[in-house]
Amino acid sequence: MRTLSLYQEGDSIIHKIDPITKIIFVLITILIPIIMGTLNSAFAFLIISLTLVIIAGVIKKVLPIVGFTSIILVTVIIIQGLYYFNNRTPFFAIGTVVFYKEGLLYALEIILRIYSIINSVSLLMFTTKPSDLVEALVKKGLSPRIGYVFSSVLQIIPQMMSTVDTIIDAQRSRGMEVEGSFSRRIRAFIPLIGPAVISSLIDTKERAMALEVRAFNSRYKKTFLNEGTTFKYADVMQVSLISILIISIVLRFVH
Amino acid sequence: MGKRSMWSFKFTTASLVLIPTAVGINYIGKFFASLLKLPLWLDSIGTMLSSMMAGPIVGAISGAINNIIYGLTADPISLVYAITSVAIGLTVGILAYIGWFKSWSMAVVSGLVVGLIAAIVSTPLNVIFWGGQTGNIWGDSVFAFLSAREIPIWIASFADEIIVDVPDKIATVLISYGIYKGLPRQLTSIYRNDDEIKEL
Amino acid sequence: MFFMKIITVEHLKYKYPLSDKLALDDISFEIEQGEFIGIIGQNGAGKSTLCQALVGLVPNFYKGSYGGTVLVNGINVSKTEVSEVASHVGLVFQNPFNQITGSKLTVYEEVAFGLENLGLPVEEMKRRIDNVLNLLGLYEFRDKNPFDLSGGQMQRLAIAGIIAMQPEVIVLDEPTSQLDPQGSEEVFRVVQRLSEQGMTIVMAEHKMEKIAAYSDRVMLLHDGKLIDFDIPKKVFSREDIEEYGVITPVYTRICKNLDIKDENGFYPITIDEAHERLEKIL
Ligand SMILES: Nc1ncnc2c1ncn2[C@@H]1O[C@H](COP(=O)(O)OP(=O)(O)OP(=O)(O)O)[C@@H](O)[C@H]1O
Ligand SMILES: [Mg+2]
Repeated sequence: MRTLSLYQEGDSIIHKIDPITKIIFVLITILIPIIMGTLNSAFAFLIISLTLVIIAGVIKKVLPIVGFTSIILVTVIIIQGLYYFNNRTPFFAIGTVVFYKEGLLYALEIILRIYSIINSVSLLMFTTKPSDLVEALVKKGLSPRIGYVFSSVLQIIPQMMSTVDTIIDAQRSRGMEVEGSFSRRIRAFIPLIGPAVISSLIDTKERAMALEVRAFNSRYKKTFLNEGTTFKYADVMQVSLISILIISIVLRFVH
Repeated sequence: MGKRSMWSFKFTTASLVLIPTAVGINYIGKFFASLLKLPLWLDSIGTMLSSMMAGPIVGAISGAINNIIYGLTADPISLVYAITSVAIGLTVGILAYIGWFKSWSMAVVSGLVVGLIAAIVSTPLNVIFWGGQTGNIWGDSVFAFLSAREIPIWIASFADEIIVDVPDKIATVLISYGIYKGLPRQLTSIYRNDDEIKEL
Repeated sequence: MFFMKIITVEHLKYKYPLSDKLALDDISFEIEQGEFIGIIGQNGAGKSTLCQALVGLVPNFYKGSYGGTVLVNGINVSKTEVSEVASHVGLVFQNPFNQITGSKLTVYEEVAFGLENLGLPVEEMKRRIDNVLNLLGLYEFRDKNPFDLSGGQMQRLAIAGIIAMQPEVIVLDEPTSQLDPQGSEEVFRVVQRLSEQGMTIVMAEHKMEKIAAYSDRVMLLHDGKLIDFDIPKKVFSREDIEEYGVITPVYTRICKNLDIKDENGFYPITIDEAHERLEKIL
């Protein structure tokens, strides 16, 4: 079965932490470095999330994502090093092209932030079973209906993508060209996606009715087949994480 | 018969089920755009279709969930751009509601508006997270060119984003509009959940 | 013998939104507990609309214009929420793919979907799930991903998800039209088993041999009207049956051509009956 989920089985301590705590962690690694706006905070969060990724044993999975982003980050170094509006102090030169210290530092901050976001999000996605994540959110008050959307999308997308292979074969046998001039390629786009899109939209009607006859709109309080494990330190960790966020906001405004 | 307000929506099962399909359509669009090596993303066709069919709120949720799922399964940074996707869903839904999708020429204008709004929302995100870049070669070249001439970062970044977004959104709106017109009425009518049941 | 009326439909009329034609036109009938009812009629006759009216999707899902009443087990279906009606009458659709919720990773959890929505205690859920998986021959697949099943297995899973909610009636709308012959056979076999267990079954179907073999009574629809509702032999022996776009079972057609009737003046409708008749003659 193809699923979009990137969850990796494992028994690290990170795997045992509850999904909500991990979500809060992701939020603060995105927010705090922006709120603080300092190189140190960005660096600190990168180290923390990188350490956690290593403890979780998923560093090998994270590297390709890091690599993919690095291409863009190289252009960030070049552009900011050359043209950052605060550039004053030449740092080094290649021929006549001068790179400035301010721009390079700014690029470094961007890189640290981006890498720490990648690491903390990866932590969540590689160590959390999607169904646990959705159930945790629903138990915290997310509407079960939105919960349904999240869990079904992970399976419905691969199902829809598998129809794509069929389309490609069919269109190829009819002599459709995926190569050629720009206008030729853009004209190939509609016959490729049109049928798949329309039939998947038509299917939504029967899908919706099939859910309704299974009491999807029921007024009863939903119960869960899987009772989910509880994590002992969830409350403590969540409160600490949120306190850190509040402290960083206060610090920012005091300064 | 009074037309219901576009905001007073009930979360019917039909509109809910539209959301995963919309996200799937976004993926299909993105996949074929890269298969055909088109210089466009074409990754919001599903979001736009769901807006046209079920209104701005369903479109906005489709957009948000699209980026959350993509962020959690492929590219973490795209989580941040959920805000842009929400804006796209809302804009298309509102334009559809006020009747801007009546003809191909109106659709082009709508695409322009959607592209501008997407650029306005994305620019601060680009500045905060990427120092103003978009990661697109053409856009970033313009960004570098303008920055070199000491044009303020916000303007340079906005220009970068416009170059990327406007053509993409015009193309996406046109494709979505074309598909929408081809949908059977028996399908589109189930999203008009304004109607009461009439007595016979 | 006492027969309990499980379904009572009176003067049912329905018009889809944006349509100016009645999809159901003044339909009245009664169904007794434990009966197997076949619904036949050409494309667009109103079979699906009637099936959906029995569970309240017509009118509550589509809206539109509605008249008359549908009572299932004493419940006024159009005035009750579909989620509530679901515990009394279930509906199985044509396409097995569309009936898989997509939110569950195993066959076992998939069956639980409706039960969770009803808020059943976990113990009760597990008891019911084990039960239906065994009944429908799916127990060995309980840990498989639903999307990895064959079409026939998937459709049986859809039936399992409905049966687990323990409705008194199950309605099937062309449950095998998207399946290969083997998958169709599997599905017909479980439907027959459910019928033998005393469940009330209503099935719309184009495969007339199956209708002839299983149905206690057959409902013939045309243009939204109920043309006939009688034992299959009688319906298939109507001289005007082909005018309603119904192609009768092959045995009926052969016997009709040979003018072979039983003592009541009806054509045989199954191979066994045809065989028996022919033997008597020869
Ligand atoms: N959502 C809808 N909106 C408007 N009209 C509809 C809708 N669904 C069905 N109809 C119309 O209602 C009539 C009855 O359709 P229905 O689907 O019940 O027929 P059917 O007997 O199930 O046909 P088939 O054998 O093709 O499944 C047809 O004229 C059809 O065009
Ligand atoms: Mg039908």
